[in-house]
Amino acid sequence: MIIVIDGLNRQRYTRLLDEMFELRARVFGQRLGWDVVIRDGREIDQYDALDPAYVIGVNDENRVVSCVRALQTTGPHMLSDVFSSILDGQPPLRSATLWESTRFCVDTEVLDRGNSRNSVSYATCELMAASLKYAQQSGITDIVTVIDPVMNRVLKRSDCAPYGYVGKTTPMGKVSAMAALLDCSDERIERIRRFAGIEGDLFVDQLRELALSDDGKVETEVAQANNSTTLQPTEKQNMQAMLQEYCRDQVADAATMEELDAAKRLTRNLLDAGLISASRA
Amino acid sequence: MSVIDLSKIPVPEQNLRSYLDTVCETYELDFAAYAGIDPIQQTIHGFVNYPEDWQAHYVKQGFQHKDPALLMASRSIAPVDWQRLRKESMFEKILLAGQEFGIPEQGLTIPVRGPYGDVGLFSVTRNCTDHDWKLLKASILGDLQHAAVHLHDHVMKTNILTRRLTHPSLSIREIEILQWVAAGKSQQDVADILSISNRTVEVHLRSCRMKLGALTTAQAVGRAIGLSMIHPV
Repeated sequence: MIIVIDGLNRQRYTRLLDEMFELRARVFGQRLGWDVVIRDGREIDQYDALDPAYVIGVNDENRVVSCVRALQTTGPHMLSDVFSSILDGQPPLRSATLWESTRFCVDTEVLDRGNSRNSVSYATCELMAASLKYAQQSGITDIVTVIDPVMNRVLKRSDCAPYGYVGKTTPMGKVSAMAALLDCSDERIERIRRFAGIEGDLFVDQLRELALSDDGKVETEVAQANNSTTLQPTEKQNMQAMLQEYCRDQVADAATMEELDAAKRLTRNLLDAGLISASRA
Repeated sequence: MSVIDLSKIPVPEQNLRSYLDTVCETYELDFAAYAGIDPIQQTIHGFVNYPEDWQAHYVKQGFQHKDPALLMASRSIAPVDWQRLRKESMFEKILLAGQEFGIPEQGLTIPVRGPYGDVGLFSVTRNCTDHDWKLLKASILGDLQHAAVHLHDHVMKTNILTRRLTHPSLSIREIEILQWVAAGKSQQDVADILSISNRTVEVHLRSCRMKLGALTTAQAVGRAIGLSMIHPV
């Protein structure tokens, strides 16, 4: 599943972001050998300070398995500076409805080869489809994405071939980099979904969002315990009871008005989702 | 920083307030507002078409310094639907105050980032149900993104220093495409001539228009000729 982290909610997801920066260090620093700065095992550059949006894929154990970073092309972005060699020193495209995507990667150590939900291929397609969807929902029509030739081949194989390129393929570390153009159209998203067999929602729901946040550890354990096997009726009731108890505790333990509001909102959301019942909440 | 109301500056060709009215009319919106932060000039530019009494109340309360629609949206790259801000108690307070002045609760703010750390925030509102809002949003968001950047670039260029810094800089490919368009070739013709896809031509033309501050391709061609970037054919 996919979660979007941006400048508005990033303070709640420091664990996920750290894992993402570690994944980027392994991929871009070690595997691809790009000239990136790694500190404490994390690859973080100046663009991460500009409040970009991160589209992040997580597996069933709530671990980061894929990620990509998006910036507007109207302001500072990588092709206008760090990656200008790809454009041969030419000024980059600038459009209100064009975003730049960089640092697209998946965790090849955790994921396997095949085409199950736990494969490199599925994770790549899920991340690609979700990042196009997120852009589309923001009124964006096209994405210029900086990728390596391997990722370019993966895109072509996944029925998601770029419709064009800007600049030229440029040597960078052990592999080269190139800038490809993708449209954020329903047709493209549908083709990727069909190729990988992705059904249902791409993005996590509110409950999972909470579980993935820094203060969601309690629920993570509850969710993991329940996810390990198919939910039996009694287990379902147990989960409902635990969630209801959790909501009651959150309301009772709220120290500030904000916390109380947040607790009430969570209860409301869970009620709306039918995960707890009104009588006992 | 001081607040400058551009709509009260008597420059006829820059009637930005009427631009907001046009946007509202075109896209079935109730109100529109723009706030731009220029780090070079150290100023905040603002103009809105909200009712006068709400504007007065907003400034009197100093809402511009604490409005989450401005402070938080500037940290997003995507438009921020106000539904996402409702958990902020300050936003709730401003929304409640606004209701007394007939300001709708459905709204969104589009953040624009410019090349020099300049930030623009373009907000629109509409009184309608959640369902209608969702539908309207999906159909007009792309156009609103263009309007937001156009507006922002325009406002930033009212500052002479910024205007000097932002001399439009087109790539060889962009100039090449614009030159073929000036020679009367269609988008598909240009794609065939340059052996690139139609959509690649389109993306480059969109970029040309944005860089030249033009709303149409014809206007972009005119401006490019005026700036001696392409030859008149």
